Amino acid sequence: MADHKHHTSHEEHLREQHLMLDPMPRGKMNEMVMEAMHTTSWKFWLVFGLLAAIVAYALFYKWGVMILEGLGVAGVNRPSYWGIFLVNTVFWIGISHAGTFISAILRVFKAEFRRPFTRAAELMTTFGLVQAGFSIFMHMGRVWLSYWLMPIPNQRGLWPNFHSPLSWDLLAITTYLLSSTMYLFLPLIPDLAMARDRTPDGTWQKVFYRTLALGFRGTEGEWTHLRNALNIFAFAIIPVMFSVHTIVSWDFAMATRPGWNSTIFGPYFVVGALHSGMGAVVMVLAVVRGTMKNMKYFIRPEHFEAIGKLMLIISMTWGYFFFNDYIVQWYGGDKWTKELLHWHEAGPMGWMWFGMLICNVAIPWAILWNKKWRSTPWLLFIVGMLINVGMWFERYIIVPISLTINRMPFTWRLYQPGIEVWLGIGTLAFFILLYMAASKLIPLIPVWEVQEGQMAHSLKKYGRETVVTVSELE
Amino acid sequence: MAEEKSLLAVFSDIDPAADAIEQLRLLGVHDDCMNVISGIPVTEAMLGRPSQWTNVPRLALGGAAAGFLVGVFLAFITPNMYTIQVGGQPFTPVPPAVIVMFEMTMLGMLISTFVGVFFDSLFPNYRPMHYVPEISDGKIAILIECPPPDTQKITDVLKKLGAESVKEAEAQHL
Amino acid sequence: MTVDLNKLHAVGAIAEAAEGKWGMVIDMDLCTGCQACVAACAMENNIPYVEEEDAGYGRSMHWIRTERFWEGEYPEVKISGYQPMLCQQCGKAPCEPVCPAFATVHSQAEQLNLQVYNRCVGTRYCANNCPYQVRSFNWRDYQDSRVRPEITILANQFNPDVTVRRRGVMEKCTFCIQRIHKAQDKAKSEGREVEDGEFTTACAQACPANAITFGRIDHPESLVSQLARSPRAEHHLEELGTLPRVTYLKEG
Repeated sequence: MADHKHHTSHEEHLREQHLMLDPMPRGKMNEMVMEAMHTTSWKFWLVFGLLAAIVAYALFYKWGVMILEGLGVAGVNRPSYWGIFLVNTVFWIGISHAGTFISAILRVFKAEFRRPFTRAAELMTTFGLVQAGFSIFMHMGRVWLSYWLMPIPNQRGLWPNFHSPLSWDLLAITTYLLSSTMYLFLPLIPDLAMARDRTPDGTWQKVFYRTLALGFRGTEGEWTHLRNALNIFAFAIIPVMFSVHTIVSWDFAMATRPGWNSTIFGPYFVVGALHSGMGAVVMVLAVVRGTMKNMKYFIRPEHFEAIGKLMLIISMTWGYFFFNDYIVQWYGGDKWTKELLHWHEAGPMGWMWFGMLICNVAIPWAILWNKKWRSTPWLLFIVGMLINVGMWFERYIIVPISLTINRMPFTWRLYQPGIEVWLGIGTLAFFILLYMAASKLIPLIPVWEVQEGQMAHSLKKYGRETVVTVSELE
Repeated sequence: MAEEKSLLAVFSDIDPAADAIEQLRLLGVHDDCMNVISGIPVTEAMLGRPSQWTNVPRLALGGAAAGFLVGVFLAFITPNMYTIQVGGQPFTPVPPAVIVMFEMTMLGMLISTFVGVFFDSLFPNYRPMHYVPEISDGKIAILIECPPPDTQKITDVLKKLGAESVKEAEAQHL
Repeated sequence: MTVDLNKLHAVGAIAEAAEGKWGMVIDMDLCTGCQACVAACAMENNIPYVEEEDAGYGRSMHWIRTERFWEGEYPEVKISGYQPMLCQQCGKAPCEPVCPAFATVHSQAEQLNLQVYNRCVGTRYCANNCPYQVRSFNWRDYQDSRVRPEITILANQFNPDVTVRRRGVMEKCTFCIQRIHKAQDKAKSEGREVEDGEFTTACAQACPANAITFGRIDHPESLVSQLARSPRAEHHLEELGTLPRVTYLKEG
């Protein structure tokens, strides 16, 4: 009797753990996703309203003040000509990398656990890039003339300077923004069709979904074209992703500043981006699972466990690159670099340096090795948040703190943030606001991909053991 | 003018649908007259259908080539239109050009892939089409566009194989 | 063996090292730190004053600054030298390639590093990349009379040969290019070349100790070239390979 119970409960246990083994009729899943979209409580609207107010004041109003008065209201000076604006730019581009990692790299490697949250992650990419765009436009002295940097024929007869890493930035970020938005939209089409089918006529939502669904039905041709495109996108967007943050790192690596002119910045920044991005994904998933209806079915502790494993590996890789950069600078003996390293650790902002190491390395290594802890959503939320804090510290150290120490000691001066704090808060509020709006407008879970995965998974007995098997349906 | 009636048979599983397609072929319905509309991508091989061609890879390649040419233009031709000396570097150095060409190639490839889907699938398509909303609930529907005159026989066969519903397909606004 | 650099199609740094036109020598042993050069430059080039708060925060707009160095602990402090620091007009300027808008470029006629105010969009990458930190950014509208009414009166002393910059634009020492052009125009109208010593920059003109000398470094007999050949001569941050046009004389 006990044996019999053990067998069935093992299977039941597997089904409870794994979304892919716990299929529901597609109609039911569709209904759950639509319900999650349509259910809004007063708490949602309260937070939404608050965020909208913050965005209006901290982002748009304060930016207007800065445009009218000049960058003097910010904290940038000689020698820290770049401050929190660039920190935030790099930060948001970093966060955007998580989306591509999950929807592209995990897809290429056929990691099935990605299925329910690829869209949630891809939304982070698009919205994160919007905030990065805001941050980079903010830092310009004459932002109203920024269109001069666009590489299109113009009546001034001048093209942008392609020797400059900032021009490469423009091309790379535009490519990445457009690509990831397209990659977000393509697998969204079948779910928009589903939303269209489940929305009654006569509402603005029906018009919205019908227009965006483009008349998708699910014919053989449509699926073939779509899947072909998704395969191309998944493979092609990976090098784009790597190149984008490498190019952003070259804004610093191409400069002659001590501490900046490091050849390892390329991969160091890419891994740093993945680090903060995965931390942000896990935060978003924890919130979505906790606040939206029916999400506990789709997003399970197994997903947090899998992401937690990735976070641990990425944290180790980040530690490797950080140490590599550090020891080469420390060993070299160049007096300016030595002064800079000393300033990082023992200067007035030394607490930030230690905080970075604790948040990026110590805490993930202490917590993420344990499978049970990895499967706890709220714990991973905290770890993710601390990782993001640590990574923001890392970029703050690289930009304003490193700029303080240069080869002209007469100009050394500490950077004190000004209006950038407001503007940074504004971008954060805008990110959350956009995400909340999207969660109510489009289905957050790609149900067709979940069903596809569930079709491919089954339980098979090997001897006395029941094991999960995955068929390759493509 | 004889009205071309189309039949739409809805199945909920792959096996009955595959059997149905085989039976329809035996009943004389040509592969070209059949179309499978489904809520999840079911490969043609699973249903015994001929492979669907797609232009998307070719368009992607063409887009990549176009993007590459744009990159070459930006990196090598624009500096020579108005030469400006900066930093002791040659007017058209190769390493920065590589970056520009790479990004433009990828952008060209991805935009043309995206547009290729629209182009091949004839999106956006807001005309009335043969469809039933149950399809997005995971059903597999077989659209028979030129059925033989004896539709009752086909209907019986399909119902016997497990079709949830077999009816005349109406072209409706989605 | 002589190498014809033109045949090598040498551009940029290599070609520059062979040429170079306008240069400066600053004798740090003669400099008294009086800052007359700073004042003269500000007068000549319409440089705004930024007021106490901004100046304390490192936002002075001075195109030339006198750096003081001292040794020892208080009260046994010894001044070890004054160093006027200005734009070195590098032959291989790190500030030039990084501007996305081509606002800082190398002039092939005057062999100077130019700052094009009306092209600058204010990304400040050039200032980050300058190893000498000699670039100044207009953090506010320091010259706008709507923001600072006192400018209306002070505007009377503006140099009409030099423009006034608005917020969001980078600026730096130009080797008084307006004086260079004036002298060149005068010489051209007389059908000759500019002679060494015919004119000089504002800072060199004002220095009471004659610590700053300006002139044609492509003429080996000019005063500047002679001074630059002194055994005391050195270039700052030479190891970076920026090929500066300013030579410093020290420790005589």
